[in-house]
Amino acid sequence: MLRLYDYLLSANCYKPRLLLSMLDVPHDLVPVEFYPGREHESAAFRKINPLGHIPVIEDDGFILRDAHAILVYLAGEYDPARTWYPTADPRLLGGVASWLQFAEGTADTASAARLCVNFGYEFDLEACVAGAHRLFRVLDEHLWFREQEGLDWVAPAAAPTVADIALFPDVALSEEGGISREDYPSLRRWTERVQRLPGFIDMPGVLPVAPLPYPPT
Amino acid sequence: MTAPDPASLLHPVAAGADLMPRHVVRSRLLGRRLAIWKADDGFVNVWEDRCIHRGMRLSAGVNDGAELVCQYHGWRYSNRNGNCVYIPAHPGEAPAGGLRVATFACAEKYGLVWSGGSPDAEPPSIPALEGGEVLVLRSLPVNAPAALVLEGLAGYSFRPTAALGTDTPITTSADAGNPHSVTVTATTTGAESSVVFFIQPAEAGRCVIRPVLSAAPAPEERLATLRHHARALEELRAQLEDSSPAEAAVALPLATLEPLRSGGTAGAAGGRHPQLQVRVARKWVCAEGIAAFDLAPVAGELPSFQPGAHLDVHLPNGLVRQYSLTNGPDLTGVYRIGVKLVPEGGGGSRCMHQSVHEGDALDISTPRNNFTLRRDAARTLLIAGGIGITPLLAMAQTLARQGLTWELHYFAQSDDHVAFDEMLAPLAEGVTTYCGLSPQETGAELTRITRHYGPMQHAYLCGPGPMIDTARSIAAEAGWPTEAVHFEYFKNESARDDSSAFDVTLARRDQTLRIGAGMSLLNGLRNAGIDLPSSCEQGACGTCIATVLGGEPDHQDVYLNDSERAAANRMLTCVSRAKSGQLVLDL
Amino acid sequence: MNASVPQEPGAAILDLWHPVAIREDLRAGETTRTRLLDRDVAVGLDDDGSPTAWLLTGAQHDAAATPRLLPTIAAYEFAWTSLGTPPEEIFKIPECDEPDRRNLATFSVGVHVSAPRAVENFLDLGHFPYVHAGILGQAPRTEVADYRVEVDPETNELWARDCEFFQPQAAAASTDGQMSQYTYRVPHPYCVMLYKSCPTDESRFDVIALFCQALSADRVLFHTFMSVIDEVSSDAQIRAFQTLVSAQDKPILENQTPRLLPLEVGDETSVRSDRASVAYRRWLGDLGVDYGVIPRGAHR
Repeated sequence: MLRLYDYLLSANCYKPRLLLSMLDVPHDLVPVEFYPGREHESAAFRKINPLGHIPVIEDDGFILRDAHAILVYLAGEYDPARTWYPTADPRLLGGVASWLQFAEGTADTASAARLCVNFGYEFDLEACVAGAHRLFRVLDEHLWFREQEGLDWVAPAAAPTVADIALFPDVALSEEGGISREDYPSLRRWTERVQRLPGFIDMPGVLPVAPLPYPPT
Repeated sequence: MTAPDPASLLHPVAAGADLMPRHVVRSRLLGRRLAIWKADDGFVNVWEDRCIHRGMRLSAGVNDGAELVCQYHGWRYSNRNGNCVYIPAHPGEAPAGGLRVATFACAEKYGLVWSGGSPDAEPPSIPALEGGEVLVLRSLPVNAPAALVLEGLAGYSFRPTAALGTDTPITTSADAGNPHSVTVTATTTGAESSVVFFIQPAEAGRCVIRPVLSAAPAPEERLATLRHHARALEELRAQLEDSSPAEAAVALPLATLEPLRSGGTAGAAGGRHPQLQVRVARKWVCAEGIAAFDLAPVAGELPSFQPGAHLDVHLPNGLVRQYSLTNGPDLTGVYRIGVKLVPEGGGGSRCMHQSVHEGDALDISTPRNNFTLRRDAARTLLIAGGIGITPLLAMAQTLARQGLTWELHYFAQSDDHVAFDEMLAPLAEGVTTYCGLSPQETGAELTRITRHYGPMQHAYLCGPGPMIDTARSIAAEAGWPTEAVHFEYFKNESARDDSSAFDVTLARRDQTLRIGAGMSLLNGLRNAGIDLPSSCEQGACGTCIATVLGGEPDHQDVYLNDSERAAANRMLTCVSRAKSGQLVLDL
Repeated sequence: MNASVPQEPGAAILDLWHPVAIREDLRAGETTRTRLLDRDVAVGLDDDGSPTAWLLTGAQHDAAATPRLLPTIAAYEFAWTSLGTPPEEIFKIPECDEPDRRNLATFSVGVHVSAPRAVENFLDLGHFPYVHAGILGQAPRTEVADYRVEVDPETNELWARDCEFFQPQAAAASTDGQMSQYTYRVPHPYCVMLYKSCPTDESRFDVIALFCQALSADRVLFHTFMSVIDEVSSDAQIRAFQTLVSAQDKPILENQTPRLLPLEVGDETSVRSDRASVAYRRWLGDLGVDYGVIPRGAHR
């Protein structure tokens, strides 16, 4: 059985948890107590990931670290329809990769701010918040234009991709780091669309949304 | 010209397209946080973004299409009037009449949603936007004060859609038509186009630019036009935010925006049952011998109600009759009742059938509820006989919308006597109708229907007396406890005892009132014209407290502590009564 | 006349013990900086291994200045200090002294809300089916049965007794869930605990406590503590449960406006199931608590 080394409150671990659920892949969660135990830095865990961070997956002997790398692997291995990581269309694939890179930025700003507020990490909170707002402005405008084109997702495809999964936790949990989404109405609509996808699971900090009265078309 | 008070105008607060189904928009106007949502019936609600219970933001809540549900304790607020219609911690009790969220004015114009503090205000009329299709451009929040943003927008420059991608020379002119918008017109050879910038003053130092283009471009040019303006505005925003002095933000006074109706328990009047005037908007025969009526308000919005509620109708012949509401949460804007003709009755139904016509005005009471639907049952059985369908129809629609488990069993004389077909149809899966059964056959069906009782199941019965009696005894035999079987005019199961009667003397007025059994002291005082504020009307919040000068109170509240009770010098008038035959209050 | 909301804590708060660090996190020779009541505080260990704390003021950031030492104690796995004149002892949790107990600091998280809002949420049964769905409650089983609230005349502590709520996963063997019984105790304006029947021994109670460290009037570190009789679970497993529950409360608390707790009757609407909350607000007012709250008669 596929194993995910996981911490409940980690935005980065939430990414593979979400995709595993949406792809309906059976898996075991192996809890790694990031806080307060700092188990990810323990000698035992460093045997699995010498860099000492989570998430990590172990799939039939294959070990892979880093949230976005894991998303790419899971989509490649477990999505026969090839929509989550669309290798058949080079332009689309390039776009997905570009948004995965963008999600590194939201992790370094929005999610870093959350670590400061929640667990007292000593990053420059003000810089993290300002950086997150800069990225959210870009993403909100991007998603507004997607809506104008009649598209729902970050990459220009009819179906969601790993880019949506990579961005969702950093955005949906941003208010825990003091980053309000009041100014980003398109971001708020997009997070609701992600929450309505089949197989969506929440985590603490993500509040439930209303189901649509009819299936989205 | 003196600038009008910004709080008396309507301002844009969202784009119409932002109001997606089952979504709640988070916005802000003049420092007030707003939750904006569109119900399934198309009505747009602009509310204070704050649950009256524990201050939770309602913009984080769940829009179920007819009610907005708070995420913290599940309090439900009704579309249109913002009344609290359900408190899950107390499933067997209807919320006190006056509980409601603060609501603001709302209008839709030029593809934008407008709000403000004045009931009479209207969105501005801008000549450039009249008489043609407009295009709402992407709005842009700016961290700069409104005055500075308006000034900056006067220097906005763009190309008309027809001149996009060309380098023909452009002339632009700006016109500050009113203190809250700027119209910028760009002209080039053979093409002219205007953008109107409305400003949403969100809070000191922050506003939202909401641009509208005067003429909608052809579909193939739409995206390019949107992108052209988004880029130009983005540049302007960068300049504005660079030049915006931080201290200007603090110095700018914001007007105080007051809601049309404040939240909480605004005013004591909520506790009374004022009369309403309605008009018969529609009258039709919905079954053999049954007339249905849609009653629409003569002015304003109708008060909300819970499933199971009824109202008094004051008939033209002087009689007063009670009728149950059949509305589910989706039918707003009217009260729908069904009236069965009883030819040999007291004349109420004859009058409704024969003398009340579409367009007639009627006086009614606000809805009251003695037949409260719990929404916490594992399974709800609804059993209707004849015209008894009316309150159960309201209940079935409410349970269906909330996705709860229910079944409706409807006994009628014949197919022709089945009322409200069009409301039953969407509920079809949960509805079973039984036509023309003998009393024995009815009893057999009732035995079958009630044979499985489990914990947290509830049954609601409404119909002719003998049928209710039969159903109750059959259910009791099948193991249904009495508290799980509800029937119309069923007494609230609250542990409070309001059976005493006593006199209350109002020391400051030298007046004595009689409070009879079944009437609360609070309502007795109100009937005598003494307005005491109240809120929960459950003896919990302490709002309706009064000072006792004489007599022994019968404390039934949960607010006062033991020593305060022993002191006997204060009491909560909503639930507490008198142990002595007489009380003296400092009123 | 209406007074405005005070910015500085008065004696009712200054003279209390406040948690400032998890005892186990303190290391000899190392100093932890934290905030308490809007001041910078440093916490470390003295030569005996006892926690010690001192105030960092502008001048005292300068190494040459003599730091103002603060009274410090260790209790319930935390280091506690005071900016005023604290009582000799902190409130007692006698259960913690039982030899077969496991006492542990379970989870701490920063929350942008006042300490009294956090305490009030901890005292609240009605949110279980919404905020802790599937764990502490499950819709549609939402009813809050009546319970008792009293102020102990000897200790002046607030108690809520005979609290009962339907919990879906209270026991592994039950499929329908069961009614759980709780007792709440508020021994300190910013601390609250609940007693819950111990699953392995019905006659004894597990203790779950919330100790709020008020970083400022509207920010807290939400520290949780448990004293349980459990020979099976690992520390990490015990902590995981409290982590989940606290993390579910955080977004609710951060979406409450205002962040300060209003003490005026009528500022927020209360119903019968809120009697613990209503009594807590009155109790805070009677104690003269003026920090983290909007006092009666004050405008916002």
